[in-house]
Amino acid sequence: MSNNTTSNKTIKGKRPAFFESRGVDYLMHMVMVLTQELSVTRDRLNTLEHLIEDKDLLKRSEFNDFTPDHACLEEREQSRQELISSLFSVMDQEAAELAQKDTKERFNDVIAETAKA
Amino acid sequence: MQSEMLNTFQQDDHDLLVKGDANDIARQEFVKSLKGAIQQNMLPMITTAYYQRALPDYLSEHGNAPEDYKEARNAFEDDPLFKAYLSINRSSQELQWFSVLDPLEKSIDDLDKAVESIKASGGSLSLDPNFEVPKYVSSIDIHCMPGGYTGPEGAHPLHAGALYDRGVYLYAMGFMGPHNDDMGRSVVNYVQRNFADFKPKKILDLGCTVGHSTLPYAELFPDAEVHAIDVAGSCLTYAHHRAESLGAAVHFKQANAEQTDYEDGSFDLIVSHILLHETSQKAMPKIFKECHRLLKPGGLMIHADLPPFENMDAYMQLILDNETWYNNEPFWTAMRNIDQIQLSVDAGFDREDVRFDTAPMAIMEFANQDAPEQVNTEEDPAEVEFVAGEYAPGGGWEVLIAQKQS
Repeated sequence: MSNNTTSNKTIKGKRPAFFESRGVDYLMHMVMVLTQELSVTRDRLNTLEHLIEDKDLLKRSEFNDFTPDHACLEEREQSRQELISSLFSVMDQEAAELAQKDTKERFNDVIAETAKA
Repeated sequence: MQSEMLNTFQQDDHDLLVKGDANDIARQEFVKSLKGAIQQNMLPMITTAYYQRALPDYLSEHGNAPEDYKEARNAFEDDPLFKAYLSINRSSQELQWFSVLDPLEKSIDDLDKAVESIKASGGSLSLDPNFEVPKYVSSIDIHCMPGGYTGPEGAHPLHAGALYDRGVYLYAMGFMGPHNDDMGRSVVNYVQRNFADFKPKKILDLGCTVGHSTLPYAELFPDAEVHAIDVAGSCLTYAHHRAESLGAAVHFKQANAEQTDYEDGSFDLIVSHILLHETSQKAMPKIFKECHRLLKPGGLMIHADLPPFENMDAYMQLILDNETWYNNEPFWTAMRNIDQIQLSVDAGFDREDVRFDTAPMAIMEFANQDAPEQVNTEEDPAEVEFVAGEYAPGGGWEVLIAQKQS
């Protein structure tokens, strides 16, 4: 494993803390990145709408007037559930731990036992 | 101005400008929009939070309002809206560089090919392999630009310049014009209006980075020989090829403005643009002295930077002071507390030949051609109110002007 933890994106000069919890600082940045990617996707869709209209394939109004059929509804629902599920995975983890009565103590015990075994 | 129209400014292309695919461009456009929204939407929110929440609390505790940025920070630092503003602003700065860095790294070798096809236009590039970059530039990455002005170690010689060129355009949200040259253009306009008989034969631009502000001097003083120096070799290399690509003849040289090897009385006009706040307490007096030494009798020294804290209210000072702490600008605040008039006098200029003024932003004048009464040309700089959210205070650049005795 490389011990070089800097990349070309590393900025020299300690990054300030904004909130009491470092986690919130991470989260704020992640939300910005996600919003940026959402914006990229929207621009892409906008390009698609323009191209399709420019080539006289469809009118942009048809995008708004479009009514999904059953197969399309399923496709979208499947896709949305996957997206939301990935968003909730960190909470899923906690629920699974509770279900299995898994604890930090068990984790520590495994570490200690493995060191001896 | 900004609130009344959508910002669809686009940077003019040239041979070396970082090219990206549609998604890269969309990321960059997002950053430009985000920065606009931070200025137009978030800043008013936190201004409300300051005056409606933090200030009353501070008043009831201390019996008086904060008198400077330090007290204002003390009053405001725990405010959740202020924290959100700072954190989102910081991310916007990081995303700005990253959105350019990704396509740059994919296409850096194309720049070499681009350089080969650029025709010479009479300029030159002089680098010093033994040059020592001053600590105030190398200690931290100024503006959070990864690798700083000199670029990461071992990076392609055009890396830092290319990153800076596109990143600065996004930072300015296009308000520096399609060539990022509004400061240079505005100062030239100012000189030509206020010193009509002044025809500089030799001009020096200090701390030119990639030559954004330098090129208008070559364009608008076509009979002058234009020189430009910087401490960062990568920026200068890029500056040289960019200037050639845009057909400008500029002599770029790696040198420190504190001490150069030009002869006494070499220049008629010496300028700098947002350079001073990137130097240091000890460097600044040396730069002023060097300007005096290099000027011919009757020559002009003009430094375009941002306004001093004097006469600015504590809250505005605080908003600006944030750059020091959250945007890696070590000298940003300290520089504003320096008496630049006195510094000019100490460097050899006569007090009556030194003054502050405002050079109206060229881009604003252009935008307001149909409504010239809105253009601020005559206002006393002390009367121009600094308004957070405007790209330059009062639609103009603060300039310090000193004329050497003839």
